[in-house]
Amino acid sequence: MNASVSSAAPPAATTRSGPSFGRVVAAEWTKLLSLRSPIAIGVATVAVTGGLTHLFAGAASGDPGFVPTRNLTDALPLAFIGPLVLGVLVGTGEFSTGTFRSTYAAVPRRVPVLAAQAVVTAGFVLGIAVLTVGAAVLGILPAAAARDMTPDLLGAGVPQLLLGSACHLVGAALFGLAIGALLRRPVPALVTAFVVLLILPLVLSLAGDLATGPLQASTPGATPPGTAAVNTVETFTLVGAGAVLTTPDGGGLDGAPELGVPGAALVLAAWVAVPLAAAASRLRRRDLA
Amino acid sequence: MITAEALTKRYGTTTAVDELSFTARPGMVTGFLGPNGAGKSTTMRMVLGLERPTAGTVTVDGHRYADLPAPLHTVGAMLDARSVHPGRTAFRHLLALARTHGIPRSRVDEVIGLTGLEPVAGKRVKGFSLGMGQRLGIAGALLGDPGTLMLDEPVNGLDPDGVLWVRRLVRDLADEGRTVFLSSHLMHELALCADRVVIIGRGRLLADASVQDVLDQSRNAGLVRVRTTGSDVLARALVQLGADVAAQQDGVLHVRRVSVEEVGAAAARAGATVLELAAEVGSLEAAYLELTSGSVQYPAGGSR
Repeated sequence: MNASVSSAAPPAATTRSGPSFGRVVAAEWTKLLSLRSPIAIGVATVAVTGGLTHLFAGAASGDPGFVPTRNLTDALPLAFIGPLVLGVLVGTGEFSTGTFRSTYAAVPRRVPVLAAQAVVTAGFVLGIAVLTVGAAVLGILPAAAARDMTPDLLGAGVPQLLLGSACHLVGAALFGLAIGALLRRPVPALVTAFVVLLILPLVLSLAGDLATGPLQASTPGATPPGTAAVNTVETFTLVGAGAVLTTPDGGGLDGAPELGVPGAALVLAAWVAVPLAAAASRLRRRDLA
Repeated sequence: MITAEALTKRYGTTTAVDELSFTARPGMVTGFLGPNGAGKSTTMRMVLGLERPTAGTVTVDGHRYADLPAPLHTVGAMLDARSVHPGRTAFRHLLALARTHGIPRSRVDEVIGLTGLEPVAGKRVKGFSLGMGQRLGIAGALLGDPGTLMLDEPVNGLDPDGVLWVRRLVRDLADEGRTVFLSSHLMHELALCADRVVIIGRGRLLADASVQDVLDQSRNAGLVRVRTTGSDVLARALVQLGADVAAQQDGVLHVRRVSVEEVGAAAARAGATVLELAAEVGSLEAAYLELTSGSVQYPAGGSR
């Protein structure tokens, strides 16, 4: 074997250029698409959403007041698990496999890698989200056809609903990425993400029920302070903000401040930005060992 | 060129690297030697900026690693063969690395050819043997055609062919004017390919010298072993010549400060029949063990 290593013999290191943000994004894109799991997660998310929406719409179609577009977001509470797991895998993958050594040796400024992972994850999941929303639309068609209805996709609130669903999926993926990059190990990151996204909302709605109590519920018009407090907290959770974006009437919970769509989008963005900033800070300041 | 000056790394109360200073120069293979846990890998991680020194500095071509404009073109490193996502193919791993520096796909194919990875380039890394993982790590180090190469235990897990290939590769790289810095805990491996050795134990510098100098420092260097029928007579004769003589069992003498020829001649004059006569060559392994004894972190139980 000829062991001559370079095509041009003397190494001229100074003239060659290093990592730019665009290059780091290209590298992370190559990394994401070179694994099986992101593609498998994407396919599963789209298929499960289409199938579940079909089932929900089919079940609801017997109802005399059936409006097909109301079932568009029924599968969402399950659909966001896919992007969430995908985000966690991107965030932890470098650390759980040791890839971070070659990655951060190539990009010693470190933070551009995290930013590139966020860009790449958002782009990839946006693609999945568009397909997922499309699958949900396809899912309601058979039920609508059975009732001789044509779903009005441009009707009041529906485009916003579809857009909100896509944002919710992208938000879940970026939240997963941030928690993954912050905690670096897949299992703690997944557990944390699931607690925040699935368990916390359950606990809060249970707390809301307890705070209401059977007697107070009979008083019309007034919201008990306990319920209002629990609902306020729930509105500011990731799922609560997502619900505002993806519920047909966009209505808030009793006694909680009305965020509206822009407010809810901001809350969602904060749920992504705060852990991402914490992960960036850890990445910058601490040793990578 | 890699330059460490009073490089120190502490984790809490543990000092992993202690005021370490050395230089790995261009055109040379510099071996980095020490028992397991001596601080070799910590030092190498500090070179790459993955860990920050508690005190002191380490630079490549005069720059801190984090300040290098194009790190892969300056330093190629293989720190750990397990630095690759097992679900990725060798080609994709190298391609992703290349993209950070705008290195063309043709160079990826080139280093795959250079390291003999063609047959497995399209396979996912999880099925790789340790040797193939090492080749992939070396391919990644060569990707940017850097002036400095840093390889952590590059022959670990390689078959005999691979070991010969690595020796020749590092020799060629140094002969092209590059700085080659490679670690090992096996002295005899480095003796075969290194020009200089930097030896550390418990994070401290024990020796920074040419391979020949380390050999000369060995306790065995200059030792003559002789077994005769008249060791008492010979011993007296040798002492008169100014030699240090230590009598061993079975009539064996360990003689220093005289040559093997002088010992033979002295035996003839003394009328002793020579049964064995040998000049011990200093062994790097022995020199290394002498240097690092007392700084071995995990000595084998009962051996001392």
